[in-house]
Amino acid sequence: MAYRVLIVDDSPAMRAFVRRVIELSGFELSHCFEASNGREALDLLRTEWVDTILTDINMPGMDGQEFLRRLSEDELLRSIPALVISTDATAHRMASMASLGARGYVTKPFLPETLRAELERTLGVPCE
Amino acid sequence: MNEPVVQQALRDSVDEVLDKMFFVQALGESPDPGLAAMEPPAAIAVRLTFLGEPSGSLALRLTSTAARSIAADFLGTDEEEVSDPRMADVVCELANMICGSLLSRVENAATFQLAAPRIVPLSEGPAQEPGATFYAVDLPKGSLAVSVNTGTPPCPAPIQSVS
Repeated sequence: MAYRVLIVDDSPAMRAFVRRVIELSGFELSHCFEASNGREALDLLRTEWVDTILTDINMPGMDGQEFLRRLSEDELLRSIPALVISTDATAHRMASMASLGARGYVTKPFLPETLRAELERTLGVPCE
Repeated sequence: MNEPVVQQALRDSVDEVLDKMFFVQALGESPDPGLAAMEPPAAIAVRLTFLGEPSGSLALRLTSTAARSIAADFLGTDEEEVSDPRMADVVCELANMICGSLLSRVENAATFQLAAPRIVPLSEGPAQEPGATFYAVDLPKGSLAVSVNTGTPPCPAPIQSVS
């Protein structure tokens, strides 16, 4: 199955890195969308459907926490599994993002296989 | 923050970030890599501030040869294809990750807000001074130095996101 993925991060380099890791780990992507903050991501989601969202937290304009809150308030968008990728590994932050509906959490720095495993778990696909 | 704890956490954070995300092995701690005497464009410096308990700032300086090399590895491209803006973006992300990793290690129960990293003049880069935790390493293509100060940051940048 080929997946439609949305990567949300204010760093173009980080978005490129995450995309590269996903592709190199064997995930087949039919589309990889990118947004630099939650606002851009919500605008994109008005016209494009995705299978999963990978989002940073610290972003100008609309941060990841507010972005997840808006997703959770939307009847349709709340069904899209979201995985957080962040430098913040504090227990408080991980708990708060989970309470907003995040189904996965990967802290930077991460090994490519860690992201793959968490992405598979978030999507509910078996590891090969 | 306890100084020896911060020192070890800084070492661990730098080494882990370089290894996992940038596929670079530090060649060993360097007491004085001479970065302070460098002029641009031989080196690049980044600074970011953080708010929390405590607040402070992290500064990073990297030789340009090392910066271009790790940027190429990070982006999966050739060094010749790495533009200066893209290299700066990667170095900012390096600083962001080191800072986040460090803060999560030393105060896991606390909450922090990181400001966006910004490129600064080399004079605002890391320095071995009283009150600062400093760590410098040699890399395959250059050197990296990082310092952390807690307390009121000297040049606070606006926090761009609030949780």
